[in-house]
Amino acid sequence: MIGVLKSELFKLRTTRATIIVATCSVLLPAIIFGLTSLFAFTNGEVGDSLASMVGNFAPLTGLLLGVVGVLCSTQEYSQGTIRITLVATPNRLKVFIAKLLTTFIVSVVSAWTMLLLCLLPSALILSFRDAEFVTIGSDIRILFSVVILSAFLSVLGLSLGLVFKSSPGAISALLLWPTILEGMVFGLLSVASGRNMMKFSPVQGNGFRLIAQYTDESNTWLVSLTYFSAFVAVFAVLGAVLFTRRDA
Amino acid sequence: MIVVENLTKSYGSKKAVDNLSFSVTPGRVTGFLGPNGSGKSTTMRCMLGLDKPDAGVATFDGRKYADIESPLKHVGSLLDAGDAHKGRTARNHLRWIAMTNGIGASRVDAVLQMVGMQDAARTRVGKFSLGMRQRLGLAVALLGDPKVVILDEPANGLDPEGIRWTRDVMRHLANEGRSVLVSSHQLVELSLVADDLIVIGQGKLISSGPIGNFMTQHAKTWVRVVSPQFDALAALVTAQGGTVERTPDGGDFHAVSAITVGNIAAANNIVLHELSPQTGSLEEAFLDATDASVEYRGQSTTTNVWDAPQP
Repeated sequence: MIGVLKSELFKLRTTRATIIVATCSVLLPAIIFGLTSLFAFTNGEVGDSLASMVGNFAPLTGLLLGVVGVLCSTQEYSQGTIRITLVATPNRLKVFIAKLLTTFIVSVVSAWTMLLLCLLPSALILSFRDAEFVTIGSDIRILFSVVILSAFLSVLGLSLGLVFKSSPGAISALLLWPTILEGMVFGLLSVASGRNMMKFSPVQGNGFRLIAQYTDESNTWLVSLTYFSAFVAVFAVLGAVLFTRRDA
Repeated sequence: MIVVENLTKSYGSKKAVDNLSFSVTPGRVTGFLGPNGSGKSTTMRCMLGLDKPDAGVATFDGRKYADIESPLKHVGSLLDAGDAHKGRTARNHLRWIAMTNGIGASRVDAVLQMVGMQDAARTRVGKFSLGMRQRLGLAVALLGDPKVVILDEPANGLDPEGIRWTRDVMRHLANEGRSVLVSSHQLVELSLVADDLIVIGQGKLISSGPIGNFMTQHAKTWVRVVSPQFDALAALVTAQGGTVERTPDGGDFHAVSAITVGNIAAANNIVLHELSPQTGSLEEAFLDATDASVEYRGQSTTTNVWDAPQP
């Protein structure tokens, strides 16, 4: 198992596409946050904690790491290496678990790196600008939520990749479902039922809510986490079943 | 030793492999032949667990492929030379495969040297020619120093030197006591290296056994004779039931053996400049054996379709 895991990690770090997307998931928020720290807050007051503001980048980082997850599975099919992978390791469940752990590890490391690259330089910049700010304060939950959301979205990406077996299909599903389709579907359901159905939407209403402040109408953090985990788990199981049963 | 027993695989209503059984013996190169769409690649994929057969089993020294621990150390395979990430270097391509089976980096460098690609080790696969990709594919097959080697069209895209090298590699592997199963459309090449043949058509076994037996069964044989008294000899041989086909410098006798022709010539004091038994090529024998099971057949160049107006 260790050998397969090492091999999957090696595969990820020797393909340019995954390196570029993973780097973007870390650097884009860091650059934007750094520029914000440099040029915003001209009155010297930072309203929220830095952690809370960094949390707003979690969907961006998470979705980009989801794309890394997609590439981890679909590149095998597009490049034909899936045949060699399965010939080298005939136990497909072992390959699936190795891919799952790999994307999970990469996304957790990337998310923590993103948080560090956002918080440390910004704290330094704001200090030099004599701004009043709180780095984390009572928002440590948000930092962990960013990491959890990123890891789960990357697992969702991997699973969608195994279901679709092609990058365009899986990436479209990964990006369009939470950003457009989910809002439309649950928005219509809300109109039809006269109730707030958005809190049942798996990604927007629960996954993205992990990093948000709560209102009376939203689910609690634990309920959102359970709901979102179950949604990701369904796709992970579907991906695993298809991967282990389909002809390669 | 590879043993395939009653292997059956269907895609929808089409039976790609139909109750196929054969074995591949250690120390011999076994050619795997069949027309396009006859089920060769499907058979190989089923053997390696890539496709799940509907029935039947393939074993390697008594074990199913999926049950072999570190399978690359027992069975090496080349299914498609294109199965490599174009952005990865040759060495990195071999390294990730080696890691899965606990094979060291030193072996990676060794196989790169074996296939003559040490200078291209750090070049991206996307920059390789088809021939170089074939060599890299062979390196993958040899990575675990396996006892069984399965190669699907290994000489595809190689230059004459590469083809000869591939032939030598297969011969060398068999001489070391390994089982070598090779599918190829290059019948001339295969006839130079194969000891045994497995011929299939429409997923079914047509012939299996030593190449000599296959040639005896399916290749045409005749006797070539060059003689200043050819007409006299032709008349005598025809009287014995043979048939004659004239050539510029003599003729070919069919349906009689060289011994019979030689005896007739000796008994009648006929001078012979040449008396040689001839055998058709493996290609002719293959076409004869698989004629009934060819699924995709091109138009003859003598038919009108080739004279159609150009666009």
